[in-house]
Amino acid sequence: MLKNILIALVLIGFGVIFYDLFMVYEAKTELTDLAHYYAKNGANEIGGANLVTSIVVTYRGFDTLGEVTILFVAASIISFFLKLKEDEEEKVIGSKDTTELLVTASQVLVPLIFLFGVYVFMNGHLTPGGGFQGGSIIATGVALMIMANPNFKINTQIIHWIESISGVAFVFAGVLGVLLGGGFLDNTFKGLGVGEFGTLFSAGVIPIIYSFVGLKVGAEISNILNKYQKSQKSI
Amino acid sequence: MVTPIYIVATGLGVGFAIGILKKFGKNFTGALVLAALAFMTFISFQWFYGLHYGSEVATYVYTAGFKPPFSINLLMGQYESIASLMINAIGLLGGIYMFNSLKARGSDAQVVYLILIMAMNVLVMTRDIFNLFVFLEIVSIAIAGVILLEKSDRSMSAGFKYILASGIISTILLLGIVFAYYLTGTLNIDDFVGISLNTYKGGGLVIFLMMMAAILELKPFPANGWGLDLYEGADPGISAIISGASATASLFVLYKIMAFAGAEWNYYVALIGIITFVGSNFFGIVQENTRRMLGYSSIGQIGLLMVVLGFKDVLGDSTPFILFGLLISHYLAKAGLFWLSGIIKAKDLKEWSVIRKHPYFLFLMGTFVFALIGFPPFPSFFSKFNFVLLLTETGNIAWVIAILAGSMLEAIYLFRWFGYAVKSENSHIEKNKVCLHKSIPIWIMALALYGFSYYTSLSNPWSIAINFIPLAFVALLFVLDFLPVYIKNSLSILGMAYYFYLVYPQLDNMRLIFEVIFIVGGILTLIAGFAYKGTRPGFHAVALLMFAGLTAIIEAKTTLEFFFGWELMTAGSYFLIIRGKRSMTHALSYMMFSIGGAYALLAAFGISNVGQINLDLNQIGHISYLSTWAYALLILGFLTKTASVGLHIWLPGAHGEAESDVSPMVSAILLKAGVFGLVLTLIAMNGSDSQWSNLAYALGWLGAITALSGNLMAVFQEDAKRLLAYSSIGQLGYIVFALAMMTHLGWLTAFTYSINHFMYKAILFLTIGAVVLRVGTHDMYKMGGLIARMPMAFIAVLIGIIALSGVPPLSGFAGKWLFYNAVMEKGWYFQGIIIFFSGGLAFLYLWRLIHTIFLGQLKDNHRNVKDISIWFAIPVYILIGGIMVFSVRPDWVLQPLGNMLSPFFPTGQLNWDHSYAYTTLGYWSGTNVFITIVILFLIVFGILALSTRKAHKLKQFDITYSGEKPFRPETTHVAWNVFAGFYKAVWPATIPLVAKFWDYVTDFFHDGAGFTRRIYSGNGQAYMMHILYFIIITYIVIIGG
Amino acid sequence: MEYITLGHMSLLLGISLTVIGFWGILTQKNIIKIILSFTIADAGVNIVIVSLGYVVGKTAPIIDNAVVQEAGRNVSASVVDPIPQALVLTSIVIGFGVTALMLAFAMKMFTAKKTLDINQFNELKW
Repeated sequence: MLKNILIALVLIGFGVIFYDLFMVYEAKTELTDLAHYYAKNGANEIGGANLVTSIVVTYRGFDTLGEVTILFVAASIISFFLKLKEDEEEKVIGSKDTTELLVTASQVLVPLIFLFGVYVFMNGHLTPGGGFQGGSIIATGVALMIMANPNFKINTQIIHWIESISGVAFVFAGVLGVLLGGGFLDNTFKGLGVGEFGTLFSAGVIPIIYSFVGLKVGAEISNILNKYQKSQKSI
Repeated sequence: MVTPIYIVATGLGVGFAIGILKKFGKNFTGALVLAALAFMTFISFQWFYGLHYGSEVATYVYTAGFKPPFSINLLMGQYESIASLMINAIGLLGGIYMFNSLKARGSDAQVVYLILIMAMNVLVMTRDIFNLFVFLEIVSIAIAGVILLEKSDRSMSAGFKYILASGIISTILLLGIVFAYYLTGTLNIDDFVGISLNTYKGGGLVIFLMMMAAILELKPFPANGWGLDLYEGADPGISAIISGASATASLFVLYKIMAFAGAEWNYYVALIGIITFVGSNFFGIVQENTRRMLGYSSIGQIGLLMVVLGFKDVLGDSTPFILFGLLISHYLAKAGLFWLSGIIKAKDLKEWSVIRKHPYFLFLMGTFVFALIGFPPFPSFFSKFNFVLLLTETGNIAWVIAILAGSMLEAIYLFRWFGYAVKSENSHIEKNKVCLHKSIPIWIMALALYGFSYYTSLSNPWSIAINFIPLAFVALLFVLDFLPVYIKNSLSILGMAYYFYLVYPQLDNMRLIFEVIFIVGGILTLIAGFAYKGTRPGFHAVALLMFAGLTAIIEAKTTLEFFFGWELMTAGSYFLIIRGKRSMTHALSYMMFSIGGAYALLAAFGISNVGQINLDLNQIGHISYLSTWAYALLILGFLTKTASVGLHIWLPGAHGEAESDVSPMVSAILLKAGVFGLVLTLIAMNGSDSQWSNLAYALGWLGAITALSGNLMAVFQEDAKRLLAYSSIGQLGYIVFALAMMTHLGWLTAFTYSINHFMYKAILFLTIGAVVLRVGTHDMYKMGGLIARMPMAFIAVLIGIIALSGVPPLSGFAGKWLFYNAVMEKGWYFQGIIIFFSGGLAFLYLWRLIHTIFLGQLKDNHRNVKDISIWFAIPVYILIGGIMVFSVRPDWVLQPLGNMLSPFFPTGQLNWDHSYAYTTLGYWSGTNVFITIVILFLIVFGILALSTRKAHKLKQFDITYSGEKPFRPETTHVAWNVFAGFYKAVWPATIPLVAKFWDYVTDFFHDGAGFTRRIYSGNGQAYMMHILYFIIITYIVIIGG
Repeated sequence: MEYITLGHMSLLLGISLTVIGFWGILTQKNIIKIILSFTIADAGVNIVIVSLGYVVGKTAPIIDNAVVQEAGRNVSASVVDPIPQALVLTSIVIGFGVTALMLAFAMKMFTAKKTLDINQFNELKW
């Protein structure tokens, strides 16, 4: 009982703090200076139609590197945390049979999902979307495959290669920025040109970087899913 | 210069690449991770070096080719380079330490570890608040991951609780950040510093949210249960990283946010810090689990650093010195201790005795413990000293009290732990296996600690005068510890003699007297050390450490030097005392009283600086603010060393249980350090405008009561060494009383007693100690009749007790005579009667030393004992010579003493006419008294010798028993329970009220902490509730609801 | 507050979700439910972030034909603030990573004790 009162008091307290925060808010009619700069010059400096992508990949590329790292760290931790003992590796996950519908649909849908994912990350600089979104979409395909067949074996070797190479490529591109451009993760490589606005091959190396990010995210999430799937063997 | 961005690039690049490279095996990836960490360390080191020596300037690193605020930038400045170097260095060493445990978990774990270290670097360097958030999350997740290196349910639930807590914290931080952006339109920290967020509507709230997150990352008390579980549940290697690197990074985050939070936050940061410091250490005293205790200590230390940060405006230019001094000491020492706890697999504190099976680890542990508590020569000592001084200078005395109280609590549990390690039973525990790669990082930390100690003392203008030569000599002796006793002993004696030769011309007469007691006395007692065989591990280094401290007090010109010496002496004597057989608890209580006393001194030195910083030791003669309090604190501090009643409970055990040649060191010599301190204080007080007469009056009563109770307790002792120990309490009571009179005669008495007590107590302790070595017991009733076997000892004890009891002809009488003159002149009749009565009591126990030990029946098992070792006899007889000289020609000593005291007390001197000393009350000639008594003695002795020539010599067994075999044979000894009747008369006075009082205090703290720490219920939800309540309460306090 | 805008409404929604999330975090005993409560709170914060980037009457920051462009593809007059949207992307990914890790913990904790009651994981205390 006392505990409930305490919880209620906490929530009321936070209600008050958040109410104060809410009262700070006034609807904006103008962009902030920073946003104004991006909106004004983003298209020219970066060449991407999607301003959010320009910010994510270029202006705040260092954050994005951090994001990728977070996923990577989470995936790595889960890999060694949920690692199976040798004798468990060969176990078969016992579950009810999956429905015919799911199995058939997955066979049809998975290639489409993968394709869609690739499309999303490759066009991240033009349309809503990008590496994370595309990568997640790819991972949903993997999820679907696992749902359809709980004992489905994912080729982890490939996942690791994709993950590793795209990660190294991202960092390498960043270092190239130090050597050639104006600083770490300077993806425009001044002089390389930004391409024709609005087309796939525009916005400098954003599509390339975002593809790496997409592949890496897809691989990482798939890796996590794979570990989740396998860890059922230990229960 | 390699740009710091390569720290990130290396960490991430190698981390990502390991996905492919893992097929080369875990050893390869492990080595690769170490190589990456080494390169990162190298980068931060070269920046540190460049920035520190001015060949580089603070440099911004831009990303994405745009200038901030449009892109994220990093800063590598001087502080950043230090923090980054600390993080990378501990990362590298920790990586070496944990090489096997990381390997066992595979390349994924190695990668997580690498990225953890990398991300903490970014936390330090980034100048973008959102980027800071991102990397804070990386750190949190990675920490939650590396906890799992230890495969147990405990570490798993600790990790989960940690994720829950950091999840809440990051929610708060994120809200703060986005609202900060909403208000200001920037995310760049430098922009925040430029504009004042507080002036925006709602800016205060936004700052509040960010500050809360930054503070909560530092695990403030009491919203830190998850942090404690983390320390306890994680692999010790990881705990070291959390305590060393993560805390450093988090502190840096707080520092960055404080830069734009506004000055009004300083106070609250300091407040939360001090609550954390005191609270954590309070709970620490009831911990039995090593790692959790270290966790409490870590959190407490970070709290202290928060206090420093909170006072950064007050401390001004000294802030970095104080902050980094404390931080570095904590960083190195705590990492070392956590790593040790990983090798010494002892969960319970008591099991740490196994560390004695690795003597060098014991040395390392001692180094770390003393560094944590802030003993010299470690950087934390200088930092704490400066911190306290600057705080009192600006009038923040309540803060000083809280800081010292917290430090005291921390000292209690760390020294208890150390005591277990040094003393408790260890035969049942198996020795641990030690891998080289685990012990090397610990050694590096310890060596770095010593290196920084030297560097710190050089970099501080106040401490540059400190004389490190004695310390270097101590270190040399430690290194040579493997040599046999006779070499080390000779070396020690030669070293001390040479040092005395160097120092004595620089000293005034008063200091010279004490220096002679300390150093010449030290040499004499060291001679007795030749009686020991083997290597006697550790003895010489710690004994010399004590003497180094003692001479440093004498030579001190500044309060810092004095305090430095005082703490060295305390440390050395602690080690000497704890060497005794059953002295674990006594050494601990000695240490606690000493530290308490030292903190009283520190506070007093601080108060003497109010309004100005003046480290000159003479400054205590010109205290303008709260002067009575300052003198009271100084006196209190010194009384802990003289063991005045109330503060004496450590002495009987400590002196009684110490080794035979250590007892005289700590009794005859060490106690005089307190006297010296009192002398300095009272001289200063006498010369100042302070209203000190009440203080002196109180001190006089205290001395009188001490004299009475010390002697009274001595009467009932069956243990010869404890008897002498209690007698010391009584004798020091006389000295304190005499000093308190604040007259010329009173002080003359005090000095006479100091010199006498040094000589006869050294004689008695050395002789009795030597006897104990022969007969193997302290209990007097187990001895008897030893006069036949040990005539040399008998004569020494006889002379010793004659001198001590103050009867003519020996020098004790000079003291007594002066004493009664002084008392009558002063008019303290009532106290004088108490003192007189105490003197009578002294006969009751002194008689027993001769009667019980040397007269009566020789015990069967002592039939073949030899006389005391010649090495003990030499110093004893030298001292007897000293007593004789003093007795025959007291004027040789008393006249110069009188001249020395005249500047302080110009009236009421002793007038000398050849050997006759006159006061207003009468006269006395030591020489004539001596000659008369000796002639009388010889006459009586001659008559007796002649008249008993034909007497029948009775053999021991020429007696008749009544045929009974006594149930307890010792009860038939004449000395057994000899004072039963007397006891009936005085028993109410012998109830150990003081000991009971201190027991009560201890229990109060122990039970209090034991009860309140239950808020750490171990439940993850409860911990989150603590965090949320912490935020709400702080909100009410700061924003005002 | 003179008039209620879309920004106000979504901000209110975000804040409410956060408080609801906190409620769940503090009251639920089942670890999975606690994790879900965390994701609710995260979602709330994310909505708050997006709301703060809202500019009355403006559209998404993607330069296409739907957006009024000035010279040099300057769209500053017609789009909402893109920065919170970039931040929220990062925040979502972080939330994802944390959730994934928490789920892994939940799985292992269940394997260890065959229960998901958080009160059963109190080994370390005091």
